[in-house]
Amino acid sequence: MPVQMNASADNRREAADIVLRVENIRKTYGSLVALRNVTIDIRRGTIHGLLGENGAGKSTLVGIISGQKSPTSGTIRLDGHEIFHADVRSMEEAGVFLVTQEPMIIDHISAAENLMLGIWPSRRGFVRWKKLKADAARMLEGSNINPEARAGSLDAVARRKLNILRAMFSGGKVIILDEPTAALTVPDRRQLFEFMRQLKQKGVTFIFISHYNEEILEICDAVSVLRDGSLAGGTDDVRSLTSEQLSELVLGRGLDLFQRDRRAAEGPVAIQLRNVIAPHVQVDSLELRAGDVVGFTGLPGAGAKELARTIFGLHPAREGTISFDGGPGERLPTHPRDALDRGIAYLSDDRRKDGVVGHLSIAANIALSSLDERSWMGFIDSKREARLCDDYFASMGIKAPSPLVAVDTLSGGNQQKVCLGRVLATRPRLLILDEPTRGIDIGVKQDVLRIIDQLSRTGVCVIIVSTDTDELVRAVDRVLVFRSGSVQEVVTGGDITTGNLRNLSQA
Amino acid sequence: MTAIVSTAKGSAAPKGDKLHQTIRWVLHNVVWIWLFALVVGFGLFNEFFLTVMNMQNIMVQATVLGMLGLAVALPLLVAEIDLSIPANLGFSSAIGALAYSDLGMPWFPAMMVGVAVATLIGFFNGLCITKLRMVSLIQTLSMMIILQGALLALTQGKTLTNLSDGYVWIGQASVAGWPVMPLIFILSLVLIGIMLRMTVFGRSIYAVGGNPAASNSAGIRVDRIKIITYTVSGFLAGVAGFLLASWQMAITSNQGSSYLLYAIAAPIIGGVSVFGGRGNVTGILGGVLLLTVIQVGLAITNVPSFYVGMIGGFMIFIAVAIDAIRVRYFA
Repeated sequence: MPVQMNASADNRREAADIVLRVENIRKTYGSLVALRNVTIDIRRGTIHGLLGENGAGKSTLVGIISGQKSPTSGTIRLDGHEIFHADVRSMEEAGVFLVTQEPMIIDHISAAENLMLGIWPSRRGFVRWKKLKADAARMLEGSNINPEARAGSLDAVARRKLNILRAMFSGGKVIILDEPTAALTVPDRRQLFEFMRQLKQKGVTFIFISHYNEEILEICDAVSVLRDGSLAGGTDDVRSLTSEQLSELVLGRGLDLFQRDRRAAEGPVAIQLRNVIAPHVQVDSLELRAGDVVGFTGLPGAGAKELARTIFGLHPAREGTISFDGGPGERLPTHPRDALDRGIAYLSDDRRKDGVVGHLSIAANIALSSLDERSWMGFIDSKREARLCDDYFASMGIKAPSPLVAVDTLSGGNQQKVCLGRVLATRPRLLILDEPTRGIDIGVKQDVLRIIDQLSRTGVCVIIVSTDTDELVRAVDRVLVFRSGSVQEVVTGGDITTGNLRNLSQA
Repeated sequence: MTAIVSTAKGSAAPKGDKLHQTIRWVLHNVVWIWLFALVVGFGLFNEFFLTVMNMQNIMVQATVLGMLGLAVALPLLVAEIDLSIPANLGFSSAIGALAYSDLGMPWFPAMMVGVAVATLIGFFNGLCITKLRMVSLIQTLSMMIILQGALLALTQGKTLTNLSDGYVWIGQASVAGWPVMPLIFILSLVLIGIMLRMTVFGRSIYAVGGNPAASNSAGIRVDRIKIITYTVSGFLAGVAGFLLASWQMAITSNQGSSYLLYAIAAPIIGGVSVFGGRGNVTGILGGVLLLTVIQVGLAITNVPSFYVGMIGGFMIFIAVAIDAIRVRYFA
């Protein structure tokens, strides 16, 4: 492997150069080892990438650095000083901030107040509202966020920006960005990277977590890779690496990127939508043939996601019909149950919000959407259920001690597999996947795309709602580009390229 | 569709960390251990406590609280609450009793009328909370006040004692010296336990309580589940009302109101989460027995009555504190 190990590379460096040193960190949960004696040095004024598969221990490590979790053993040194019993508050005071995957935003207060949460300008214990508002307005300049807006009314992108801005302006020395680009559009991402570079010049240090190799290669100076709770490797000079080498380091094996053989639309129409009108979206006609994999893309709010949720009954339609296999037009589903009963399944993009029931077991979650199929007079047939769950537990490759473990304890990618298992267990004829690979690592991503491909070969129609152009290029037969609530463009065959899709959806 | 991918690497099998496991086990069963300790403790203080007669007494005492505990637990499991259950108990039993004494109905249909009214009240609460999106805490608080007031109005402040022999039979009957009434509680406990564990409805309750949005997306009709839950809960309150009146052979003008806090405390002590989705009938039984043992024990160990409330409160506090420590450090 053409990559130096961290320890040997960093031992040669001067101590003053290192702003944060994580030393021999070990974390166990009961008998489960999440981190095995990890040592990483992070140099001042660099952007340090942190890579690894789902469940490799990234979130745990970041949790420890930010003070949310305490290590079982090991030390953290900030500017050479050891930090004892750190909690979030004291780490933030020391200048270490975490911007998480799940934006921590309080919905019912304004953007300005969220921005200043915990750092309220005050005089003798009283909040100075005028100064708060003025400061917030200055910070939010150029972000297109109205400081007075209620945070709950902001979309996912704005909420993420808000969190990033909050950390950046709170005087952070070390800012940890946990997949900051996951929901951002290309210009937003560019803007964010530019901003990070500016702050880097001023000596701010970033720990940057991402699943995208190209992002790591573009923005990071150094990188550390975790695999199964151990440090798999790393380098102080990212420029010496290629994307393939990075993937190999992450997976511990060569990666074989999935590419679907695109098919031209042929065969009878399996599903037809007509004159669909719902809030923020309007589509005259959409035809899916058996085995089609269709991508929906567009900026947030452009209608791609809205149409997907309308078909599943989560976003009530005002008008419109759906017909199956050339049959008569039926009204659109009014409730997810209605949709599932007609063979339409939907995988949410926000698995924590409306994907999994965290405290229930993996098995219970997998069974949740198809309980009636395996029950008699309202009683669950537990044998058939156990069989079903074992099947999906194995075929999805879920990493967990057993199917009876609570979903809460799993990493994001494994939770996504549980959701996918639940959805597939309903045996849909139309499968709608909303950002199916958001926040999951590149290895699992290939698995998911492969599962989708194999499903389509059995005649299932698939809709993939995605802003990840690479995913669309690899997985779909045609792409519908949405703009202001309607389909603006249909891209097929060889025209489906990352560049093309980016241009069209951002235009 | 089966067998698609396999990327699973062998996951580390949990190794036995014995001390940790033991502590976990102890804390997990803290209600039962605490219950056992109190029974032994009270038994040492007063030899009457461990007699068969007193055990029977505890079982009878636990019956009404147990029915109410079950009724309160169901809304808690779907992450809502119903404060009106003890008031529902009092009001519905008065309706049943008046249907017999004033309308001249035979006692059994009259009792059924009472239970039906309780069930309807539960159904109505469910409707308000789901279809009108009323906040359950306040909606059921107001329902509680309404029902307490209605009971006072119905009885005109008097105690109803005109109950038929058939009506009071269950509260007094015994077979070979053992009271019959606790059987109703045990039966309810088993039925609710089966419902929660083995049915689609029970699974749906846990899912809705854990994450309503995800349950909705998974195809569960969340509103329907909540309404049925409140309805079953109302039914249990009605049966509890019948049992209490039958046992006491009287319905006072504030029947049931003294049960409010204990009926809420019992399932929570037994591990039912106030945030929904967690809890089971075994825990509820433990909570109910614990509270009953504390009450009965303090009553017969000659603790001066001025201290009973305070000591009982402390004992509950300890149970809850230990459980909190379990969740905090050993979850």
